[in-house]
Amino acid sequence: MTCDESLKTQAYLDGELDAADALNAEAHLESCAECQRLAADHAGLKAVMAAAPYHRAPMALRTKITAALDAEEKTDANVIPLRAKPGFWLGAGSGAGGMAIAAVLAFLVFMPANNAMVADLADAHVRSLMGEHLIDVASSDHHTVKPWFAGHSDVSPPTEDFKADGFTLVGGRADYVHGSRAAVVVYRHGAHVINLFAWADRNARLPDTSSQDGYRMVFWKQKDLDLAAVSDVDPAELDRFVELVKKSQSRE
Amino acid sequence: MSEKRRRFEALAMPHLDAAYNLARWLTRGGAEADDIVQEAMLRAFRSFDGFRGEAVRPWLLAIVRNCHRSALEQKKRHVAAPLDDRDDTEIAADDPTPEASAIRHGDGRELNKALSTLPEEFREVIILRELEEMSYRDIAAVTGTPIGTVMSRLARGRALLKAELTGGSHDV
Repeated sequence: MTCDESLKTQAYLDGELDAADALNAEAHLESCAECQRLAADHAGLKAVMAAAPYHRAPMALRTKITAALDAEEKTDANVIPLRAKPGFWLGAGSGAGGMAIAAVLAFLVFMPANNAMVADLADAHVRSLMGEHLIDVASSDHHTVKPWFAGHSDVSPPTEDFKADGFTLVGGRADYVHGSRAAVVVYRHGAHVINLFAWADRNARLPDTSSQDGYRMVFWKQKDLDLAAVSDVDPAELDRFVELVKKSQSRE
Repeated sequence: MSEKRRRFEALAMPHLDAAYNLARWLTRGGAEADDIVQEAMLRAFRSFDGFRGEAVRPWLLAIVRNCHRSALEQKKRHVAAPLDDRDDTEIAADDPTPEASAIRHGDGRELNKALSTLPEEFREVIILRELEEMSYRDIAAVTGTPIGTVMSRLARGRALLKAELTGGSHDV
């Protein structure tokens, strides 16, 4: 009943296609009655939605938020930034002015690196899902996976199986993330794959979470490792998974 | 004012309206939108150090969405969700131009009602696309779903909304 091209036609109508794909979509639209109906509905809905109220934040709320941020800032001022390692700030000058400058510099320096890393992780995750290279060592036994990493990776990632909690260990592989070797532990949760990346901590600042192409990433540092869990699983489930890994890692 | 606060004021605060609009639509116009947005802005500010380089609006709206989700979870533990009241539908089933009729009413009451009957996963993608005019990629970032899912939810949501507005059948 539904035309196979309907999602593509929708993407065209939403202005999501590049020039070449847009031409194809236009050509299809000329000959497909169903997609023509879709286009008419699309335009109709747009007109309807133009009448939908846009709720702007009331002034009272704005004022409340400003006050809450002021209060938050006061407590902030007495706390050294969470991720700032002492060594990192050496040479950045001293006093609050130096700290502020260092914070801005750190932002500028690490922003592109993190973008590239996030893109790298998303790519590595997608590659693994395409079946190109998901697993080097297939095993649900962490006694097998763990020693495999010892011979194939610079780092020793956590490899506990969380089958009882719904996250089944399926194996591991060696991969590259942003130019350095990474160990990847692969889990399944229902139909979803979770790639757990681990690489040697080089004092780089990590985002807490990020997402690209619909894949969510949770980052954290533990012991001497940088870790990132990447998946399209429900965010709450991914957080639960990360907590399990953190706990198992602190037991090691 | 700290550098962090200055950055937050410059990058995040301009999206306060978008945050509030999303919260209002997610809560179906509920008064809890204020609390959700305040909580979201505070959380955003606290994690602003960890925020790097991505577009601010999808990031902020994802936080709003999460705050809404956790507020909903808490509420569920206390009270059962109220049923949608769906009486006094003013659009006749055979109205040929429901769009025009909804516009004529001006206050968007029919549209409000139609949108509020949509399951949340469809309502949110439609709001993000039609009112915030976000790209599929950004919607995917806000909702934490792959782009393919965004596309199919948009298609399904639009069909459901049309059916709701025309009083027609749902299996379009």
